[in-house]
Amino acid sequence: MKAVLVVHGGAWAIPDELAEASVKGVKAAASEGYRVLGTGGSALDAVEKAVRAMEDNPVFDAGHGAVLNADGEVELDAIIMDGQTLGSGAVSCVQNIANPVSLARAVMEKTDHVMLTSRGANLFAERIGFKTAPTETLVTAYERREWEKAKEYGAGVKELFHSQLCHDTVGAVAVDSCGNVACATSTGGIRNKMVGRVGDSPVIGAGGYADNRSGAVSCTGHGESILKVTLARLIIFHIEQGKEVEDAVALSLRYMDERVHSGGGAIAVSPSGQWAATFTTERMAWAAAEQGTLWYGLNPQERVQDKPVQ
Amino acid sequence: MTKWLVCEIEHCSAYMDQSKRRRGRREGDGRKSYRPSLRKERSKRLSLCLVGMLPVLVVHGGAGQIPKERVEMASAGVRAAARAGYAVLQGGRSSMDAVVEAVTNLENNPSFNAGYGSVLNVKGEVEMDAIVMDGRTLASGAVSAVRNIANPIQLARLVMEQTSHLCLTAGGAGQFARAMGMPEVPGDSLITEYARMRWKKNLAPNANPVESQMGKMGTVGAVAVDEDGNIACATSTGGMLNKMEGRVGDTACIGCGGYADNRAGAVSPTGHGEAIMKVTLARLILFHMAQGMSPEEASDLGLATMKERVEGLGGVVTVDPQGRWAARFTSTQMAWAAAQGGTLHFGVFSGEDVTQDIGDPS
Repeated sequence: MKAVLVVHGGAWAIPDELAEASVKGVKAAASEGYRVLGTGGSALDAVEKAVRAMEDNPVFDAGHGAVLNADGEVELDAIIMDGQTLGSGAVSCVQNIANPVSLARAVMEKTDHVMLTSRGANLFAERIGFKTAPTETLVTAYERREWEKAKEYGAGVKELFHSQLCHDTVGAVAVDSCGNVACATSTGGIRNKMVGRVGDSPVIGAGGYADNRSGAVSCTGHGESILKVTLARLIIFHIEQGKEVEDAVALSLRYMDERVHSGGGAIAVSPSGQWAATFTTERMAWAAAEQGTLWYGLNPQERVQDKPVQ
Repeated sequence: MTKWLVCEIEHCSAYMDQSKRRRGRREGDGRKSYRPSLRKERSKRLSLCLVGMLPVLVVHGGAGQIPKERVEMASAGVRAAARAGYAVLQGGRSSMDAVVEAVTNLENNPSFNAGYGSVLNVKGEVEMDAIVMDGRTLASGAVSAVRNIANPIQLARLVMEQTSHLCLTAGGAGQFARAMGMPEVPGDSLITEYARMRWKKNLAPNANPVESQMGKMGTVGAVAVDEDGNIACATSTGGMLNKMEGRVGDTACIGCGGYADNRAGAVSPTGHGEAIMKVTLARLILFHMAQGMSPEEASDLGLATMKERVEGLGGVVTVDPQGRWAARFTSTQMAWAAAQGGTLHFGVFSGEDVTQDIGDPS
């Protein structure tokens, strides 16, 4: 069975100055994740690895590079899901963690629960000896500047961040050589969000969903809109109904636009290795690795073949 | 269990204007591209006239195994909540007002695991989750792991109406409650003797909280359709007995602990939260209904899927836009009550459906 891994670095109006770094970042993450699959690793290991690579990359709004909330703090959301068991782990509104996706995986593997939030998630991290990171090490100078700017404009930017800014959630989906699928999504949310705001990313069926019987999905875009249509589950539903992966994603994004007037993006993979990376926003950095080939894109309809990956 | 009446158009022309109005509104908000086969089915149904189907409200007080001495209390509680919610609908107010009224009533009742009477987390504290959803706009509001609030369902509604967000959690939700002027209550005031006794029992090293969970799952919820055909749901809970601090269950997660869509219906689930999440139970049932299944068939199929895939037990209350309803469960019991056409239906055990006049105070 063919192994495939697809990643995204967020669907939004990526400014030109971040374009190159974003594409480079998703390509590197896809290569890293794919290497895990190549050495016999599971889909779950591969999506975690790929998302960690993007959390560590300051160009993306997740882990290091996350946006700041209204109080100037970093609060992170993440989810991981195993299509083999429907097991899932998520953290919402967690602080001082460089790789929330790995903490989400610990919730899945070491507790009876699916989601831990806020201080409870941090207490759990402490208890299992999870490495913490001081807030300042997660914040980039770029983000601090943008946050100050947003503060200055006050309510004026409110409209902006619905359509333009700060939607660069990261995510990955994969199918391994055993036909197991998995997904992972991680984000810092939206700039100037209220303290305690939880977006779509950690919510099962919204920010991600994985089921060996149909496929795996990771979503990005305006979180509140994704939640309202439970986008990931909707895409999976269309795949269950026999739709091609690409059609299922396109149909669901169209539905989100029609019902709640919002753009977004999603990556998806089926157990047989069909995949899609589709968006209705201006741009989405994505990369996909299959059969030794790396594909990537940033603008609509763009699909470039890169040098082979190992 | 689902009771509905239809009659031919000529017998009830008075009702036709209303259903025409509803149909116009639905087509007006552009559902052209979505599942054309369903639309055909829907207009066929609307060509019949529905008598006495709307408004309707169904509530549950949690799926599980209710101790014998508490069955009567639970049943009386859901009946009172259904009456309170139905009175709101009869007064011409919206389904959103009605589900919030019914759930507030259940939160205030110490017999149920929500608001006053919530179960305690492993540290002996109350942390609550709640969600509301408006089927007209798909707008939703939720709070997770919130403390010191008597009525989390009302805070969830404020998140929907007063913020640009959908879910606020823990300290941030508390901060928002204070900013909204919602009264803060001492944590102890939400704790009953019964909740404390069960918490202590489950601290013992050989205790199995997941097992004894079945003793009282007690999440509460309501679904309703008002006279205008607008649909809403509300769910509220203290969560799982002896849960970890910060544990968020299905209730606060849209599509898991509740979903409402004017085009398909509304569902409020209860049961093992983690299992409900893994199959996104509310959304799953509504997918089936959007394809033409009745609330009863769709609820049974969703619950069967949950049992088969993740060995989870639970229950749901479900309505569709025509006012057909269901209260179904795979657990031993679920206290539920439904109000429609001046009649109150209620039950606790499998297959039970007792009816009485809505005005009957017993």
